[in-house]
Amino acid sequence: MVTAAPPSFLPRAGLDRLIALLRDDGRRVIGPTVVDGAVAYEEIASTADLPLGWSDEQSPGRYRLVESPGPGRERAFGYTVGPASWKRYTFPPRVDIGRGRDADGTVTYEPVAPEPDALAFLGVRGCELAALRIQDRVLRDGPVADPDYVARRRAALVIAVECTVAASTCFCTSMGTGPEIARESADLVLTELDDGYLLRSGTDDGRRLEARLDPRPATDDEVAHARASVADVRRRIGDPVAVQGLPGRLQARLDHPRWAEIAERCLGCANCTLVCPTCFCTSVTQRSDLDSRDSVAVRGWDSCFSGDFAKVAGGSFRWRRQDRYRQWLTHKFSTWVDQFGAFGCVGCGRCVTWCPVGIDVREELAVIAPPAARRPLPMAAAAAPGDFTPARVERTWPETPDTTTLLLTDVDPAIAHGAPGQFVMVTRPGLPAVPISVSRYHPEGDAIELSIRAAGPATATLSSLAPGTPLGVRGPLGRGWPLEAAEGRDVIVVSGGIGLSPLRPAIDALLEDRPRYGTVRLYHGARTPNDRPHKDDLATWAARPDVEAGETVDRAGTGWTGPVGVVTHLFDAGRWDARDAVAFVCGPERMMQATVSTLEDRGLRPERIHVSMERHMECGIGLCGHCQLGRFFVCRDGPVFSRAELGDAFILEGV
Amino acid sequence: MPGLPLRPRVGVVKLTSCDGCQLTILDLEEELLSIVEAFDIVDFPEATSSRSSGPYDILFVEGSVSAPDQVERLAELRARSTLLVAIGACATAGGIQALRNWGEVGDWAATVYPDPSLLQVLDRVTPISDHVKVDVEVRGCPISPDQLRELLAALLAGRRPQLPDEAVCLECKRRGLTCVVVAAGATCLGPVTRSGCGAICPSFGRGCYGCFGPREQPNVASLVSRFELDGLAPDEARRRFAGINAWAEPYRDAIPRGGGARPELAAAGVPGETEAADARR
Amino acid sequence: MDVSGTIGAFHGSPFVAGLAPSERRRLAALAVRRTAEPGDVLLHEDAPTTHLGIVVDGRVALRLQVPGRGSITVLTVEPGDVFGWSALVPPYRSTSTVVAVERTEAIVFDAVALRAALDEDDGLAASLYPRVLRSVARRLEATRMQLLDVFGREVDAAW
Repeated sequence: MVTAAPPSFLPRAGLDRLIALLRDDGRRVIGPTVVDGAVAYEEIASTADLPLGWSDEQSPGRYRLVESPGPGRERAFGYTVGPASWKRYTFPPRVDIGRGRDADGTVTYEPVAPEPDALAFLGVRGCELAALRIQDRVLRDGPVADPDYVARRRAALVIAVECTVAASTCFCTSMGTGPEIARESADLVLTELDDGYLLRSGTDDGRRLEARLDPRPATDDEVAHARASVADVRRRIGDPVAVQGLPGRLQARLDHPRWAEIAERCLGCANCTLVCPTCFCTSVTQRSDLDSRDSVAVRGWDSCFSGDFAKVAGGSFRWRRQDRYRQWLTHKFSTWVDQFGAFGCVGCGRCVTWCPVGIDVREELAVIAPPAARRPLPMAAAAAPGDFTPARVERTWPETPDTTTLLLTDVDPAIAHGAPGQFVMVTRPGLPAVPISVSRYHPEGDAIELSIRAAGPATATLSSLAPGTPLGVRGPLGRGWPLEAAEGRDVIVVSGGIGLSPLRPAIDALLEDRPRYGTVRLYHGARTPNDRPHKDDLATWAARPDVEAGETVDRAGTGWTGPVGVVTHLFDAGRWDARDAVAFVCGPERMMQATVSTLEDRGLRPERIHVSMERHMECGIGLCGHCQLGRFFVCRDGPVFSRAELGDAFILEGV
Repeated sequence: MPGLPLRPRVGVVKLTSCDGCQLTILDLEEELLSIVEAFDIVDFPEATSSRSSGPYDILFVEGSVSAPDQVERLAELRARSTLLVAIGACATAGGIQALRNWGEVGDWAATVYPDPSLLQVLDRVTPISDHVKVDVEVRGCPISPDQLRELLAALLAGRRPQLPDEAVCLECKRRGLTCVVVAAGATCLGPVTRSGCGAICPSFGRGCYGCFGPREQPNVASLVSRFELDGLAPDEARRRFAGINAWAEPYRDAIPRGGGARPELAAAGVPGETEAADARR
Repeated sequence: MDVSGTIGAFHGSPFVAGLAPSERRRLAALAVRRTAEPGDVLLHEDAPTTHLGIVVDGRVALRLQVPGRGSITVLTVEPGDVFGWSALVPPYRSTSTVVAVERTEAIVFDAVALRAALDEDDGLAASLYPRVLRSVARRLEATRMQLLDVFGREVDAAW
């Protein structure tokens, strides 16, 4: 085994030399460039053609180019993939494949010999390399290869670029295709830094090219920085699709009622298949002249969504949209594996962004073929049930007559960097460990806030701890609010009473990254005006112009001029469109049930409504069995669940 | 396709239309000589002075049925034709003039003509397939020269013409165009409209106007919801279907009462009503 | 809010959504726009219910007079929702006092005229009564939630 050469560093200006070298070698350089409001892959002559300083916002059914944040950081690859894919060059939308002639009593056929230009692809992302590999399997490595594809593929040099940004539609991490790129998977791999590019070559062609660029060795700092920015992309994307066992799960759900529901929205327009970098379905049409017997066979991109695609004499075998959507989705995530040994999806998210009605495969897979149980999270500080890390009560203040907030400092950094909606186990020697949701994170100060309602003796003792008191904390535990599912969508946050506390970090995160979300609506209901927790925050949020906030109380005293009634009544008659929104709900269980049913009446889909469930939790890591709820352990698999995955467990008594 | 003689007798006739589709035949300049060699053109008012009363092996019919005498004429023509081809949106869907179906013909006539009593028109403008059997439909306003060429070549070669019943989106993406719905929030009928135009409007950054009419399995309701999400009022979203192919199902059902007219122009009416059923009562 | 906004709000209200155009026209003919300043009383508890209203903008409070405790707000009505349902239910007396707590824009229907229209138009009655019933049912459901006192202290806490 040969040890790979360490990465080298090419200053920003070197990119133009790279393009020039490739052109000198007689290659047409195909790279990203802005066309018609999107990043396309076209022939480029220099870095001036690249989308310098451009980035993009993507969500289901929506794409907008935006200028990258931060002046002076004119990155060439600061965008995520657009509608174009490289298959346009390796597998063109229309190509002549053969000619037929009837002359002098003889019929002759000849295939059209491919004569592709030498190309260089600049800016191929991890998911796109995977897409090329998939098409290689389908079109090149099978028993019969497609000569046109083989020739075009061989004629292209591949220069890959690791992603340092992610769109809300990305899921390469789940499909195992990115964002990291192994050097062997391309001729040359670039990682963009502020002032240049980290280079790694994976083939002899790439090594020769790298040598001609004469780059200096990269510093440890540069390598670490590059790794960190790619790792950040991985973290941002998370792991939205549970691929373990997915092919079998899908095959078992061919009769799921969801297929018909999708068809209500699906336009059958075929956009998903045409922007997909792996879809390879085609139809051959004959072009013949009027005055001779000559004809040309033209192969063009087709789609399993087209009416003629599955037609035989008498009609189409897949005549309904639901048949066609099922065909497409099961091919990508199930039958493709049988045919070609790998998924037909690379997680690029194009089919999600470019679906005009925003159908999201990640969501549909979760509904149709949900995993048996959620995958366990990696544990943070003090995992074992008997282990706690020390922290200290810095300060306490009352929220309501029965609820107190504790500001804990000297908290383990893993806890202070927890996610909104997660919880910790808190204890003192002599006290049981009590699960408490974190009501605010202060990651920079290694501090968290816990809002504790004195509902029993232990919680009363914790509530009355004096500043300076040390205590033990384990966490962060459980799964929190899926903020990534809310990106690009309107968000409705509904809380009841002290249920606001577990939501407060989520609201903090929404408002900190406000442009990533659509309209943010916050609704809170309390028993009386006096029972409102986090009053300062409620006032601050209500005053923000970019937030729609509403509050209600069950019983108004004098001096309360706001709404009176249950929290649902703040939005059950509202005129705004709720259908594309995501909801986060926390409060007493009856209040959550009423809220969820009102939201469903407003058109929210159950997989977009998330609730935080309360059950008796002891160990916090799914080992003690107390908090079982249907097929879940609330501590490990929750406490936040979507309405869809809870199923009947959400409403049945005694589960 | 029925068997045709070696040099089929061809007629081109028109009902209510602008002649644009006939002119598309003349636009096939390079092939015109081959066409005349391959087909015996016996009737073509835009091109020749000769007039025939058939019989025809292939009869191209342009235009909608808008007047009582056209109904009889069409039946006679059908009886004298082996293969009847409807060309253009007027013949296949009623055309732009079918927008008058959303009003009272008398009201329209009174505003346009000094002496409407001389006018002999039907209450409803209809496609020719409402009256006679149509063998082939060539869609579009105007029809596509490529599709016409393909039809002629297919007739000569003895195969089914490749006039794909697919969404405009397929042509759009094959051309490498960026989706104007997703990237610009445009109101584009492409996802529910049949291809054939080469995705002309999206190539200029505009939404499709639906010139080729509905494709198979069009999901009009879902597309309307999408337009509403982009901020279009429900009626505004539905009025987009009140164009060249307004009378074609299911565009027809999507169109609000009053057809293409905006409510402030419509006579008395309460805003917010969308029942197309009213239009057809 | 201008007149067209009010008309738009009328048509957008869940209360009329889905009504046939003819029914909507019928209702629209009876509708009157009404503006109330904070403190204005729209209906008096126990007095004949003179109007059924839809709040378009602002907020009205439903208040009950409780001896010794004064006037208690039991519910507020937010935009899109109705007040004065007792205009359609004998004995046609208001069950609460309806007071504007903010500047409020409403569409109101005269109780007598509305009842007359419903008497002579079975179709309209068949469409409208279920909506009124739904509004009342929703209010009943909400009242039960309030009664439950879901935020109250549990009898027996785990910790």
